[in-house]
Amino acid sequence: MSKEKIVEGGRAWPSANVLLTIGVVVVAIIVFGGVLLSGGDDQPQGSPTASDSVLLNENSHRLTDAGDNAVTVVEFLDFQCPACAGYYRNITADVEQDYGNRITFVVRNFPLDNHSLALPAAQAAEAAGMQGKYAEMYHALYENYEQWAVNEDGDQLSDDEDRARAAFDSFAEEIGLDVDRFHADMASDAVAERIEADKADGEKAQVTGTPTLFINGERFTPSGETFAEVKQQFREKLDAELAQ
Amino acid sequence: MSDTRVTPASSERTDAPGEGPLGRIVRWLYLIGGSIGLLASFVLMVEKIALIENPSYVPTCSLNPVLSCGSVMTTPQAAAFGVANPLLGITGFAIIVTVGVVLTIGFRPPRWFWLALQAGTTFGVLFVHWLIWQSLYTIGALCPYCMVVWAVTIPLFWYTTLHNLERGHFSRGASGPGAVLARYHSFVLALWFVAIIALIAVRFWDYWVTLV
Repeated sequence: MSKEKIVEGGRAWPSANVLLTIGVVVVAIIVFGGVLLSGGDDQPQGSPTASDSVLLNENSHRLTDAGDNAVTVVEFLDFQCPACAGYYRNITADVEQDYGNRITFVVRNFPLDNHSLALPAAQAAEAAGMQGKYAEMYHALYENYEQWAVNEDGDQLSDDEDRARAAFDSFAEEIGLDVDRFHADMASDAVAERIEADKADGEKAQVTGTPTLFINGERFTPSGETFAEVKQQFREKLDAELAQ
Repeated sequence: MSDTRVTPASSERTDAPGEGPLGRIVRWLYLIGGSIGLLASFVLMVEKIALIENPSYVPTCSLNPVLSCGSVMTTPQAAAFGVANPLLGITGFAIIVTVGVVLTIGFRPPRWFWLALQAGTTFGVLFVHWLIWQSLYTIGALCPYCMVVWAVTIPLFWYTTLHNLERGHFSRGASGPGAVLARYHSFVLALWFVAIIALIAVRFWDYWVTLV
């Protein structure tokens, strides 16, 4: 920041402070740069991939199922996250429809701590899954996102759990669930364990935010600014995988 | 800005009376650092308002899952005192810039004024370190504009403290440990920054390696 020189007998010396500062910066650059460039931790280069066993297992919920050898999309999501709802509305709902019989689309829970209704919503979806209606509840939660995930003015994420639970009950009735059993399952250990297992797998797959999508085990990293661009990238990637 | 300070044989201070050797650094830091902090807070507030108006708005600094203002700005930590944090930043940095201007004009503040600046920058630096902690280990995302604020708040605190130590504002006595710290001022600051960068590097290692 300031170059200090002590002038003694006409010779200029950088002060010990300047030398030490330069030393720290140089050492830091060498250490960080060196470890990073040497591909530290033996991480694979390029797009990170995650092994299939971490991304999905036989119990994972499938929105569409084209068999084990089909192109597989795995989405880690948080039902209350606005970006996930945006992905649903703009990208994944269409993908599910258009590619339905050709791909296997797996949904995993990754409720984030800063979304207070994400966990109850994940419990609702899992509890519906206990009665074989996971996909129906998944659709109901996103189609009616405004009814429970955001406040009544629609300008902020909601933290009104009673309102959300009432909405989940109405979805449960609409899709024909046994509501008493639905309530019991939502609070059950089995549902809690499923959600925890999904989160643990997400962490192993280095998921840090939502939505995170994997196509055939490779993380989808969009570069587009708009949903339209991301959607196009996503479909191009899917088409490329399907063509192989 | 290269400046050659001639140390006279009599070891008299060459600085203007009332401004210690660190005074020049403090003055420039308040002007430039304060302006950068003010700009960053202002932009964050603008983004926050855009996000309130439209919850699906994607802030300009939401680049990917790690560098993501959106996921940081919607957390409770983003309004730690009940109001949006950038409001505190706009208020605080506006004061800092103003102080930088009046110092440049030649105002030589009394001791109480420096102690008030010490209180303000100390609050700022404590708050910023709490936010760094929350951002890294609770939220798990980084907000680039917020990091600009971190980067200016730390030197503002550091040089205010050194200046106050060096001027004896804390004890009215001799400068004490301040003299040693002041001699190695930028070295200590560099260590401080490297420590934080190391924490960020380790926390998001999996992400950084995907970039090379």
